[in-house]
Amino acid sequence: MNHRRVVITGMGTVNPLGHDVETTWSALLSGKSGMGPVGLFDAVTFPSNFCAMVKDYDFAAQVPSAERHEHAGRHCKFALGAGIQAWREAGLEGCGELDRTRLGIYLGSGEGSLDFENFVSLMVDSWKGSGIDAVKWAELAFQRMDMWREVEQESNMVLSHLGAEFGVRGPAVNVLTACAASTQAMGEATRMIQRGEADVVISGGAHSMIHPLGMTGFIRLTALSKRNDEANTASRPFDMTRDGFVIGEGSSILIFEDYEFAMARGAKVLAEVLGYGASADAFRITDQDPEGDGAATAMRSALRDAKLRPEDIDYVSAHGTATQQNDEVETKAVKAVFGDRAYKVPVSSVKSMLGHLIAAAGATELITCVLAVRDQVLPPTTNYKTPDPKCDLDYVPNKARKAKVEVCMSNSFGFGGQNNTLIIRGSA
Amino acid sequence: MSGRRVVITGLGVVTPAGIGIQEFWQAMVAGRQAVRKIALFDASGFPCSIGGEIEGFSASKFVPKSYRKSVKVMARDIEIAVAAADLAFRDSGIVTRGIDGQKPDVDSKRLGCNIGAGLICADLNELGSAVTTAVTDGKFDLKKWGAGGIENLTPLWLLKYLPNMLACHVTIVHGCEGPSNNITCGDASGHLCIGESARWIARGEADVVIAGGAESKLNPMGFLRQHLLDRVVKGGNDRPAEACRPFDTDHAGTVVGEGGGLVILEDLDRAKARSAKIYAELAGSGSACDPGGIEVTKPNVGGMELAVRKAVEQAGITPRDIGVLVAHGTGVPGEDRLEARAWREALGDIAEKTPAFAMTGAVGSLFAGAGGVELAAAAMALDTQTVPPTANFAAADDACPMGLSRERRDGRISYALTAAFGIGGQSAACVLKRYEQ
Repeated sequence: MNHRRVVITGMGTVNPLGHDVETTWSALLSGKSGMGPVGLFDAVTFPSNFCAMVKDYDFAAQVPSAERHEHAGRHCKFALGAGIQAWREAGLEGCGELDRTRLGIYLGSGEGSLDFENFVSLMVDSWKGSGIDAVKWAELAFQRMDMWREVEQESNMVLSHLGAEFGVRGPAVNVLTACAASTQAMGEATRMIQRGEADVVISGGAHSMIHPLGMTGFIRLTALSKRNDEANTASRPFDMTRDGFVIGEGSSILIFEDYEFAMARGAKVLAEVLGYGASADAFRITDQDPEGDGAATAMRSALRDAKLRPEDIDYVSAHGTATQQNDEVETKAVKAVFGDRAYKVPVSSVKSMLGHLIAAAGATELITCVLAVRDQVLPPTTNYKTPDPKCDLDYVPNKARKAKVEVCMSNSFGFGGQNNTLIIRGSA
Repeated sequence: MSGRRVVITGLGVVTPAGIGIQEFWQAMVAGRQAVRKIALFDASGFPCSIGGEIEGFSASKFVPKSYRKSVKVMARDIEIAVAAADLAFRDSGIVTRGIDGQKPDVDSKRLGCNIGAGLICADLNELGSAVTTAVTDGKFDLKKWGAGGIENLTPLWLLKYLPNMLACHVTIVHGCEGPSNNITCGDASGHLCIGESARWIARGEADVVIAGGAESKLNPMGFLRQHLLDRVVKGGNDRPAEACRPFDTDHAGTVVGEGGGLVILEDLDRAKARSAKIYAELAGSGSACDPGGIEVTKPNVGGMELAVRKAVEQAGITPRDIGVLVAHGTGVPGEDRLEARAWREALGDIAEKTPAFAMTGAVGSLFAGAGGVELAAAAMALDTQTVPPTANFAAADDACPMGLSRERRDGRISYALTAAFGIGGQSAACVLKRYEQ
């Protein structure tokens, strides 16, 4: 089918390594670690008690209309900062003539953080025998719970804040396919433009699960690294000694745009989206398909969509969470798709430095792909010391590498088995 | 819509007024009301204690034997989706691996899934029994929680509450290995999922997609949030069945309900080749956003007039062609008025003359579960050429001129239009066309 070309014209990010694109990028190229203690609550006794959090973020400095968003949740404030950066870079600021009904938004944002203290106090104070006394619970809940804190937990609220900030009147969608969400969002945003439903789409994701129940949930699933004494080197994608991911938080927002539309308004093109693929493992809620068939299907559909062959891919930005299972399965899937070429294509995981931004991971990783092409350099997989015979690809260990990079593939796989792949190339 | 034509060949609904499309539709046509005193939890501490509850429901009847154990790790929202999926596939005649005793006749890689979800609420008794093991001097003790209390929570706890688990369980049960998504845009989710899935098929990315949404807010936390938003009906406890009154002069807020609807979307040629029953063709869809939606304390319909216009335009029809409007009708006075205005802005004067229907009078608000059921109702209206009565509608609020009726109406219907909007400012609409050989 003949359709419109889609380009990226703006990018913004707020993450554990930086509150803008360039700071983040130089941190990644120098192999910095975003890990540290949990500064948001006292996690000292938690089996896993560190994280990759966003530190010293100055919301009011980044978002001139901060007052308007005073109720916004933590992840939403990141998204507003990232969104404004992207909007500015795309040259859309002060672009009064932009037809807002042709402006869409498609995000992969997570739920807002729970009002934890009040939430647990309600359970404790209304507990009777083996359950809550619902009448007592309700009475106390009306005294303690705040309407805004509750509303802002709905995962579409980031959409609402960004929609208000940029005056969106076109299509507006949020998806929450767990760790794959923002990659999925950017893929579907691309489709929206290809089909002509919008000329410009704000896309990406935002998430923070650094709260007691978020960390509890992942700890119970044994998904988090327990290297409490070695936080800086705890995230070890593809390394033999990997023991889980490090929970991160943040937001990355990108401006997707119809190529002709971008040209007509004289925008600078940062990259072109060539392909998108989505699939489901349909295997188990707790495990990935051990053969990586679902992951391979997403990569293959993205290649088919891009009309490219595996040989055309210069770099794979891995999902690479540093769980035993993901890294082994992803390696298998890359081999299944790339064949002999698998050993020649560099595959790296910036989660070694950034931690896992969950719903926001894919968008942040796509930004690194765009920059890899711009600067002809690949971000490394840090903390890589002990090779695992089951993970035997070129993971760009420990040091950034100069390379000829034109076309990049970015993978995201969600808990529950939803897989997404995007392929981009540098500005044509 | 450009590309391949997409039709609806299966309907699966789980609602307070009936489980399965036939039971639901008969209840709608008969004008049956299903709102009652809440039995799922003791709601007597809330100003409103009524809801649209699905009685005696469990997903275990709707999964293959081998999957029954998994029902334990499903929040109620997930159970509703899983049951609706079973009903939808069976209704369509497509055999997936989730149908015991038969050989699957659909290519898993060409089978997609797209199920809308809301913010799933934790079971307070389950979580509380772990939380209360970490208490010091009558207060929750975070240190104690980290040091051991945490172990009292079931390992898979988080997986009960991830909103993608509705779709994930359905993909696992039925082997849907194609494109997979789940949209979380409140009440607009179902329409959005169905619109997006139809485009996957039109573009050739999948041949069959199961799409729609499900949600239950009938638990203390979900119920509380609707109260805090001040959307819940006032004074309805003494007459639960009559409490939700969409567009009526006496509308006084919504009733919190639970439920879900999933439809089977299929490439027309595939459906014809297997001589499937075709309920309707998906002729157009659209979505929109209202920047004012951020002010959640004020009524907002998410730019629904734009979504409706786009859907009608994509279907290539004029407002005059539309035989039935399946309205969203929350029963919140400010929302009803803005919704009626949006229909009018999008369609013109003919909006109020077009026969309309809202299921909320009977079942209450189904949130992320609403859209799939509304699409199923629109498909049934086309299939049976009937517009059901709207339960609890007596006389229209002056500011809500809508073509609702207390009586069922039969007549020629070629196109059905349905739209919905959620808290926060997003909306979506779909146009269905009667399928004729």
